[in-house]
Parts: sequence; structure tokens; C-alpha cells
Amino acid sequence: MPRRKRRLASRIRAYIRGLLAFLFSNVGVIVLVVAYTIAGAFMFQAIEGAGEVDRAARMEQLRNSTAQYLWENVTLTLNLFNETALKEMINIELKEYQVEIVWAVRHGWDGGRSSRQWSFSSAFLYSLTVITTIGYGHLSPKTNWGKVITIMYALLGMPLFLLYLSNVGELLARWFKCIYALICLCRGCPGFTRRRVDRFRPQLEISDVESIERPQGWWTRYSDSDITPEYRDPYPRGYQRRPDYLRSISMPQPWESPHYQDPRNRGWSEPLPRSPSEATSEFSYVTFDAQTITVPISVCISILVGYIMFGSMIFCMWEKWDQLDGAYFCFISLSSIGFGDFVPGERVYTPRIETSFIVCSLYLMLGMALVAMCFNLMQEQVIHYFAGIKRALKRLCRCKR
Amino acid sequence: MEGQHPLNASFHGSMRSRDSSSTAGSDAREKIKDCFRKFIAFMFTQVGVGALVVCYAILGAAGFMHIEKDSPDQQLKDVQQWRSNCAEELWNITVNVNVFNETAWVVRVNKVLKIYQNNITAAIHTGYNGRSAEDIWSFPAALMYSLSVFTMIGYGNVIPKTVWGKVMTIAYACFGIPIYVLYFCNMGKVLAQSFKWLYITAHECSRRDDALFEDGEMQTIKRKITVPSTACLWVISFYILSGTIMFGAWEKWNYLDSTYFCVISLCKIGFGDFVPGANIADSAGGSHLKLVINFIYVLLGMGLVAMCYNLMCEDVRVKVRELREDLKSCLDDITLKITMCMNDTKYYHQKQMRHVK
Repeated sequence: MPRRKRRLASRIRAYIRGLLAFLFSNVGVIVLVVAYTIAGAFMFQAIEGAGEVDRAARMEQLRNSTAQYLWENVTLTLNLFNETALKEMINIELKEYQVEIVWAVRHGWDGGRSSRQWSFSSAFLYSLTVITTIGYGHLSPKTNWGKVITIMYALLGMPLFLLYLSNVGELLARWFKCIYALICLCRGCPGFTRRRVDRFRPQLEISDVESIERPQGWWTRYSDSDITPEYRDPYPRGYQRRPDYLRSISMPQPWESPHYQDPRNRGWSEPLPRSPSEATSEFSYVTFDAQTITVPISVCISILVGYIMFGSMIFCMWEKWDQLDGAYFCFISLSSIGFGDFVPGERVYTPRIETSFIVCSLYLMLGMALVAMCFNLMQEQVIHYFAGIKRALKRLCRCKR
Repeated sequence: MEGQHPLNASFHGSMRSRDSSSTAGSDAREKIKDCFRKFIAFMFTQVGVGALVVCYAILGAAGFMHIEKDSPDQQLKDVQQWRSNCAEELWNITVNVNVFNETAWVVRVNKVLKIYQNNITAAIHTGYNGRSAEDIWSFPAALMYSLSVFTMIGYGNVIPKTVWGKVMTIAYACFGIPIYVLYFCNMGKVLAQSFKWLYITAHECSRRDDALFEDGEMQTIKRKITVPSTACLWVISFYILSGTIMFGAWEKWNYLDSTYFCVISLCKIGFGDFVPGANIADSAGGSHLKLVINFIYVLLGMGLVAMCYNLMCEDVRVKVRELREDLKSCLDDITLKITMCMNDTKYYHQKQMRHVK
């Protein structure tokens, strides 16, 4: 009895530990990032929002003084009937005024289009662009305190965001591998797999080695339907690489070619002639794990392209950009270049500006994690390729000697 | 680590082939192969990668200049059109309104000016800055642009306007970012190694004076030395300080602004409200030296950041391990004390049993 109790206690402790680890690893990090961004939004709003009203007032004053100047120096002094001279004077004056406007806009004046430039949503987007190192630059701090705080905020926030990226990227990579194994390798249809297995079962033969290596009752367990699909059918049709081939990254063995040329055996097959050394890997195939497969690079790239296309469609609908501009914006944002020539929410005066900002920030955060995920998967694949190439080179060199 | 594999492989290959060529006599094919291997090995060293990055940047600058320079400049004409329209309207107002009615005149002029101002701000928000494409896309600015693309800084002061420019930018980034990442990793590793060596030699030199007193313990306590994070931070802050002074002198920014610029650039945020290239291009002519120094400053700074990242990762890992060990020993101590205090022999036995198992 005490042993069982202790086992129960240890199991509960393990559960709690797992829960805590989960909180700290994924949800906790996401919550931390969001909370940090919101705090930054409030901070920047408080710091930068104050100077904004002055700026608008100064532009108003500038316009008034320009009109006054035009009145006094141009209209009153020049002859009324000398049209060309007057127009020339006005043109010169307007050019000066334009230079002033350009300067003011470059230094943070918005042209009076929105009531408040540093609204909560835009401040949120601003702090997001700081910690993701996108840095659009359509909003930038103008006050000295704003600059200092931005530096501090970036120095603290970027490691946090890197943590988020590595954590969530890894999580997404794991999920994606499971999904890939489920859908692409088993064709996503458990019934189909079972039928195929039923069809091929009479043709299957278990070699002596496997029957020794496999645990007793493997077949009964195998025919149960509660086994996960990737466990049940690791060698589906069209799946060229076998897991043991992947695991011990090696050159194609000579016995592989007849095995793959036989069309009857390709769907569900056991390579019958096996040396004892393969028996261990064959055994590990019984406990096949979805995490051991590698996802091809083309799938990763197509996912990224699909995500960019999706984003470009959304932003085209909202901001009335054309398709190329939308794709350009998404690419520039997700690669964290962030020129800032296209910025979401800039053209939206309607109350939709809030949703636009929220969806945009969600899109950015998810997209960054997706990019990290794809890098994770691609790195694995590239390492795999490099190892294969290295081995091949070694073999070539050895052949020549 | 994965960057090391091809280097090692090709390097070993070249070594072996050199041996074989010396034993089996000179073979032309073998020689060519050897040269090729050496070339690949060189391309993967820091010099090769650095040259690759610089060449890529120059190539990109020339390409973008070629594409963007002859873009039709609709916006410049638009702004001129607006200005002449505005002058026309002001003339009409002057003709229509009585000259001596000042307030009415000023109110109407104000209205016209406001429309004009809104037009101009809209134009600025879509990228107008009062200069024609040929002025904007000078070679220094194009070089800064391609640097800002593949380092992912993205200042945004210079922006492609044509369709081909945008497509080219996407393609350029797709190929440039991996090259840059290669540079980043390579440079970081090399700089970290050299800095570590420097630190350790300095450390041992300073230790040697103390070693006179406790030379017996010197050999016994031979721990692996890691560079503390503070040293990295010092290096980075000195780099930023030198950048601050340099840009402050050249661009007539105040020190806060140039510090802000350096940090925003080295963190790859790149707001683009302060960009050195713009002013340098304005002063024009023979300021190419400044531009080159600026370019090198950013590239080298990225390498330094990579170095600090490498070193600090190592340091943090070591610190976390030490912390974990400390915590574990502390916890063991506390549990032991508690069990002793409780004087509960049954529990103690259980614990012993668990330990045995």
C-alpha cells in the first residue's frame, strides 16, 4: 500500500511539474510578451502623447503666420494687376511653407488626420515593432525621454522576444511535425490506412529476426484501432524514406532498390532479407515517433508563402493596396526589415482602425513564430543533408584510395 | 556548429589530397581539385564571407540604382501642380475679395492653405521627400539601402517605388539574409574566440602576480574560464560610444540622438528617423570615405553583437548550471535539516529507501 500511495504522489507531482513547465515555457512566455508590450504601450503613450498637442498647435500657428505674411508682404506691396509677379511671389512663399510642412511631418506631425497619433493601438504596435526589431519608423519617439526609454525598452524586450520565438517556434515545429506525419504520411484517413493494412496483411511475413525482436502480443496490439496512425503505419505508400534510414543517415543500401521496385510491397512492406544489424533499427520502428521525421524544405517554404499570401489578401481587403504591395508589406514585416512605407491602419479612419491594429499585431506575432518554426525545421533538414553529403564525400575519398 | 561541417570536411580533404599528391607525384587534375578545395575552404572563412557580403552589397547597390533611377517621378510633378494650383486660387481670391478686407482674405487663404497642406502630408506619407529619384538613388544611398535590406535593419528613408524594385527587394532579401546570417555566425564565432583568448591571457597575466602567494593552489583549482557578461557589455558600450562621437561630429546630431541611432541600428530595429546616409549624400562629392566608414561601422558592429551574444550565452549557461547546483545542494541541506528536526524516524527510513531505489 505505501508503495502505491507513493507512486500516486509522485505521479501527481510529475503532473504539477509538467503543468508548471508548460506555463513557464509556452503560455507563460506568450503572456509575458503581451503584458510587456501593453506596459510599453501605456508608457510610450504617457511620454510621447504629451508633446503631440503642442505640435498640432504649432502647425496651426505656422499656417496662420504664412497667411498673414502673404497678406502683408505680397498682396499689399505688389500691384494687384501684375498677375505673373504676384504668382511668382506666392509660389516662392508656398515653397518655403512646403519645406516647413515636410520638416514637421518628418519630425512627427501627422497632418491633423487623426485626432491622436499616439493612441493605445498605435503605441501598442510601436512597442511591438521595437521588441520584434521590425521598426517601421512611421512612429518614432521625439522627446528625449522617449528616446532613452526606447533604448532601455529594446534592450530588455529583445531577449524576451527571442525567448518567445525559440519557445513558440519549437512548440509549433513539434505540432507541425505531428500534423505532417498524420496528414501527409498517412493521407489523413485512418479508415484508408486500416483497409490498406487489411489488404496487405496476408502478404506480410515476419522474418525470424523480427519475431524474436518484437515483444509478445505485438500483433494483437497492432490490430487494435486505438494505436496512433503514425505508430500503426510508418511505411505508407509514397513514403520514400524509412525512419531507420533517416535515423542512421546513410547512403542507400544495396538491398533497398529491389524493395522499392516491387509495387506490391511498396505500400505496406517489410524488407524481408535483413542482416542482424538492422534488427535493432527495425525494433525501434515499432516505437515509431513522429518527432524523428524531418519535414522537407519545400513544405516549409510553401507554408511561409501561403502565410504571406494570406496576409496580403487581408491587407488588400482592408487597406486597398494591390496584391504586390500587400505581399511586399508582409514580406518586409515578417523578415523584420520594416521599411515603413506601408503601414497598416494608416488609411483607415473608420472605427475599424482598432481591429486592424489588433489583427495586424496578431499576424505579426504569429508570423514571427511561424518563421522561427520554419527555420527550426529547415535547419534540421539542412543538417541532415550536410551529414549525408559529408558521408558521401568521405565514401568517395575512401573509394579512390 | 553546422557551419563548421563543410569547412572541416573540405579542409580534411585538402590535407589528405596534399599528402597524396606529394607521394604519388604531381597530377594536374589533383592539383586543380586541391585548388578548388582550398577556394571553398577560403570562402567559408571569415575573410571570404566578409568579401562575399561586401560584394553582394555593392552588386545590390548597382542593381537598385539601375532599376530605380529611371523611374517616372509622378509625385514630384504632382506637388508642383498642387503648388501652382494653390497660387492660382490665391490669385483668384485676391482678385475677388476686396483688398482692404483683411480678415475675410486671411480666412479664405487659410482654407486654401489647409487643403494644400493636407495634400502635401498625404504625399509625404506615401514617400515624397522633395527630391527626384536621381538625387535619392545616389550610389552611397543605394549601398546603405542594400545594407539595410540584408541586415534586416530597414531604415526606410529610401524606398523602392517601382514594381520591379519591390520584386527585386524581395528576391534580394531572400538570398541576402542567409548570406548575412552566415557572416553573423562566422564573425561571431571568430571574434568570440579571439576575445576569449585575449581575456584569458590578460587574466593569467594578472593572476601570475598573485600566484606568488598561492602557487600551490594554482594547479589544483584549474577551472574553465568564461568571459563575464560585464566585459561584453563594456566592449559594446565602448563601440556605441565611439559611434556616438563619430556620428555626432559628422552629422551635427547631439549625443543623445547619435546614441539613439547607434542602438537602434545595432539592435536591427531601424526606425529611420536618423540616417547618416541622407546627410552624407547631401554634402555629396568626395564623401565616399565617410560612407565606407559608416558601412564598415554597421557591419563590424553586427559582428561585435554576434560575439557578445555568443559569449553571453555561454556565460549564462554556466551561471545557470552553477545556480542549479547551488540550489540543489541548498535544497538537500534543508531537507536533511528538516528531517533531522522532525526526528521522524519513519519518514527518514522512507527517504532512505527511496534513495536506495
